[in-house]
Amino acid sequence: MPLETEARAQIRALVAEFRPEHGDLLAAMHKVQHHLGYLSREAMEVIADQLNLFAAEVYGAASFYEEFRFAPPAQTNIRWCSGPACRLKNGGGIRDALLATLGVSEIPADTEDGRVGVILGQCNGTCEIAPMVWLEQHSTHRIEPVGSLNAARAIRMARALRDGSTVEASIEEARRA
Amino acid sequence: MPDALERYDVLRTAADAEYAAWRNPERPRIDVALDQSSITNGALKTRDALERIARERNAVVDFGRVHGYGMQWVHPTVQITFPDGATVLYGPVREADAAAIIDEATGRWGAAAALRLGTITGERPGVPSIREHPFFALEPERRLLKNIGLTDPESLNHYIAQGGYRASARIFGRHLSEEIVRNTLNDAGLTGRGGANFPAGTKWGFLFGAPGTEHYLVCNADEGDPGAWVNRVVMEGDPHLLLEGMLIGAYGTKSTAGFIYLRDEYPLSIARMEAAIRDAEQAGLLGDDILGTGMSFHLRVIRGAGAYVCGDETGLLASISDERGMPRVKPPFPAARGALNKPSNVNNVETFANVPLIATHGSEWYREMGTKAQSGTKIFSFSGDIVRTGFMEVPFGVSLAKVLEACGGIEGGRALHAIQPGGPLGSLVPASALDKLILEPASFLPYDAMLGGGGIVFGSDRNNVLVLAEMFAEFVEEESCGRCTTCHGGNQRKTEIIRRVMEGDGRRDDEPNLMLIDKTIQFSNCAHGQLSPKSMRNVLQHFHAEYEAAMRGEDATLSLKGATRFRVAQPRDPRVEEAVAICPVAAFRGTPGARTIDEATCIHCQACTDVAPGAVVREAKPRAPRMVPIG
Repeated sequence: MPLETEARAQIRALVAEFRPEHGDLLAAMHKVQHHLGYLSREAMEVIADQLNLFAAEVYGAASFYEEFRFAPPAQTNIRWCSGPACRLKNGGGIRDALLATLGVSEIPADTEDGRVGVILGQCNGTCEIAPMVWLEQHSTHRIEPVGSLNAARAIRMARALRDGSTVEASIEEARRA
Repeated sequence: MPDALERYDVLRTAADAEYAAWRNPERPRIDVALDQSSITNGALKTRDALERIARERNAVVDFGRVHGYGMQWVHPTVQITFPDGATVLYGPVREADAAAIIDEATGRWGAAAALRLGTITGERPGVPSIREHPFFALEPERRLLKNIGLTDPESLNHYIAQGGYRASARIFGRHLSEEIVRNTLNDAGLTGRGGANFPAGTKWGFLFGAPGTEHYLVCNADEGDPGAWVNRVVMEGDPHLLLEGMLIGAYGTKSTAGFIYLRDEYPLSIARMEAAIRDAEQAGLLGDDILGTGMSFHLRVIRGAGAYVCGDETGLLASISDERGMPRVKPPFPAARGALNKPSNVNNVETFANVPLIATHGSEWYREMGTKAQSGTKIFSFSGDIVRTGFMEVPFGVSLAKVLEACGGIEGGRALHAIQPGGPLGSLVPASALDKLILEPASFLPYDAMLGGGGIVFGSDRNNVLVLAEMFAEFVEEESCGRCTTCHGGNQRKTEIIRRVMEGDGRRDDEPNLMLIDKTIQFSNCAHGQLSPKSMRNVLQHFHAEYEAAMRGEDATLSLKGATRFRVAQPRDPRVEEAVAICPVAAFRGTPGARTIDEATCIHCQACTDVAPGAVVREAKPRAPRMVPIG
């Protein structure tokens, strides 16, 4: 039995409500990631204890899904919508422009300083503002949709984020004609 | 002891009173449409502005909430309901329009005339009924959407006041035969709305007949097809309709517990479904001893985590059961082994949503709409290069050409090029098929295509069909669970080939290889693998000339990397320097006034043509006729 640390106790409290063989694994992982930002090895061990699973089973499940992370997220993530309406309106060019602006090569990736990340987004049926991305601020759990983009607007927005602008100021950059 | 219907009547009386006061309010009420699309378009900011101005002016007005009516291209919308019960729809209503809306609601009729879209109920001089709007020309009657715009989606009482939960109370209270309940669905012709189209009553019968007492009824709300948001509209617009459908389903399958597996991309759907479950439990309509009948049904929402393949029922069941969400071989079918290894049944959101309607009005009523082969109505979501993006409910069988007309046609004066029904496992159908297609599954079969779950995307001639084919190839590759080598390996090869062709490096062998991959992937175990080659196959079937042109490095749409280049056409145009500044890869060479673009550096993102259209152009890449390599 690993040593009970403060972090471990905190995670244990978070997942205390969940039960084995009750379909609770996804909920437990969501809850821990919401509070801690990612699923640490320690967290997966505690979840495994709670749900009567092996830690490897928890990691196996977690790594199957796009949403779970195993390292702290960037301060702000640009969630790029991969849907068809966006793609028809140069979504592919916007993705390539975002990656080039942030100096990373593929989705998902973070800038070296951990300030900005690009992650994969899925269509949620708000295609009237295609092409779009969402800005997700980790510290506040705030999500801002930014629609009616083009590549130039996306680049201005990403440059602002990269250079330390706030989410609001970066969105302003994207709205500028 | 009062029976279930008497208990229901008590609830109904209270609900009627509350709803009547909402329908004919003492003071005008402004309902802001709050759903995922409205909120994305700034509805919360609009609401804040409205409330602030109402406060500042001490305006005699109340505020409420509805779901958007379907016209997403004019979101955010608001509705004003006047004391005489007339409701007028306005949009798009931005923060700057708040004062006009407050004025219009509080006696200065005409202040927001420019924003009026139509009346939802009642009459107002000079305002047409919203039903006359061309977008709704194909909706003879709303059934699944009947409460949209006319109720607060977060109010249980509003749902009850519209007759909600009466069908389930009657079935439970009178102990109707489960078989009759299932047969009514089959008589109505209700089939699985997720796209598989299997008769719902028959499917329920499998679980009903399964051994044991622990049966799980599962709702597939993992609406992962990009371009489809049919289920979202049901869950955010009328969540109790889904709950009641599941409740009747629990009766028809002898289930005592159930799950709604809901994709995490729909946070508002999750919130509304969870709240609806709590409210229904508190009212005694769900949970233990429902309406005093002794029957129980416990329902929980399971939040997905971004895995498309969990839309396959065995993947979904694995995901609920604390495992990786990987589909598996059937049999055993879910009725034998499902959620948590117990007998289960999985239906789509919209399938369940039809159930209370059929239970209330009967199967004959249901068959009044639709075609002989496919009865009823269905919600569809339309997007892409069209003027009007939104959702509508139409009877099966309406013409797709008329749908495109209702959607305002293709935007920007362009021509329709490709029709994309059914998501990534669906199809790519050429524009020439438009006049022959009706919204009915069988209509799509001659094109080796499928109608699918209700999302239809229209693509214009701004894009080569390979742009969509590549998107779906990447999607199905990314979302392959990895169990079958045919699927995860085959889809990787397929994506590589498509990309190579798009970059102008196609080979003669690519087409036979794509066909070989197609035939091989079809031996995958689940529908994801089996259907994943469809869209590329459709390209070779229906867009062969376009594919061949791409092989030669030609592309009439100027959207493929391999066939186009960016060039400074007017070097002295001052906007060229803006293009230089925006370029994310520093592809411009030379000095101001004499700029050129280095083709090897350019990534074709289009930022330069965004800021300096005309001065920088995208044009066909001049090239000598290309010998297509064989290998």
